[in-house]
Amino acid sequence: MKECVKIKRLLSRYLDKEAGAGDTALIKAHLEHCSICRQELNELSGIKEFISNKEPKTFPPDYLVCRLREDIAREQGAFDPRLSWLTVVGNLSRRLIPVPVSAVLISLLFLILVSSQPTSGYSIEEHMLSGAQTTTSTALGVILGI
Amino acid sequence: MENQIDEDVLCVETFLKGADRGFEDLVRRYENRVLNIIYSLIRSDSESRDIAQEVFLKVYHNLESFRRQSRFSTWLYRITVNTVYDFLRKRKNITQDAVFFEPLAASDQGPREVLLAKEKGEIVRLALAKVPFKFRSALVLKDIENLSYLEISEVLHCSLGTVESKIYRARKFLKQELLKLGVNQS
Repeated sequence: MKECVKIKRLLSRYLDKEAGAGDTALIKAHLEHCSICRQELNELSGIKEFISNKEPKTFPPDYLVCRLREDIAREQGAFDPRLSWLTVVGNLSRRLIPVPVSAVLISLLFLILVSSQPTSGYSIEEHMLSGAQTTTSTALGVILGI
Repeated sequence: MENQIDEDVLCVETFLKGADRGFEDLVRRYENRVLNIIYSLIRSDSESRDIAQEVFLKVYHNLESFRRQSRFSTWLYRITVNTVYDFLRKRKNITQDAVFFEPLAASDQGPREVLLAKEKGEIVRLALAKVPFKFRSALVLKDIENLSYLEISEVLHCSLGTVESKIYRARKFLKQELLKLGVNQS
């Protein structure tokens, strides 16, 4: 009876062909004279066969791959960290680029206009020495050399 | 078996080099095995598909961290069992039980043998659902996926002795449940 307790614990492993050579020999010898353990082995064997023979479930071909592709594409569009910071920079660029470009264009236009005007040759030092009142238009004229 | 491992490694390397084809090959190789493990554990067709999808998404996001100290399949089955565990925990359904019963669909009509086989499968799954998850997971990996005790111990992070005990107890539980359902498996 004491041996049955030990053998019953090994039966599942024996059934799965996982028992070592020593245990296998022990179990076989025990089973020859113990009908209770033989009955236990038959029951376990029936359970194993019952489970193993059930009909398997299958996915339709490419069903899962297609669903995963959609999921991954959706995730990458919304959450990919490598893309997200580029997106932020891109959006900022689109918003901010017109400001410096406009500034450069206005400056260029201004320089072209200024260079086409004849200069008065009236410098800031001459204006200071003349003692004339400095108005906004005179200051601009002196600074821009108009 | 060695060929299978080599092909898994090749797929992983292909993916890590930047080609999603490697990942898709892994999905095609393992999708039905993963589906059967999940379905045997939770017995819900639609939920099983969703969980399988979640499992492979986790694989996609974590494949770079797969260290190859174990087989890819071992790593995949660990993710599968953990994902199912999380799913059941959210449903507070870990040790129990009559998870969800989905009757045979009308399209399942066919020759008597086919129908009987399908019904038999449903009965097994119904009885399995009554077995506590910690025993059920070991039994499913053994009898559905035919993993060795060593592989199961790696998937479930436990000793060989614990695997042996879990499988034995799962079979005893299952026998009781089948008897309750009026099935004499022997």
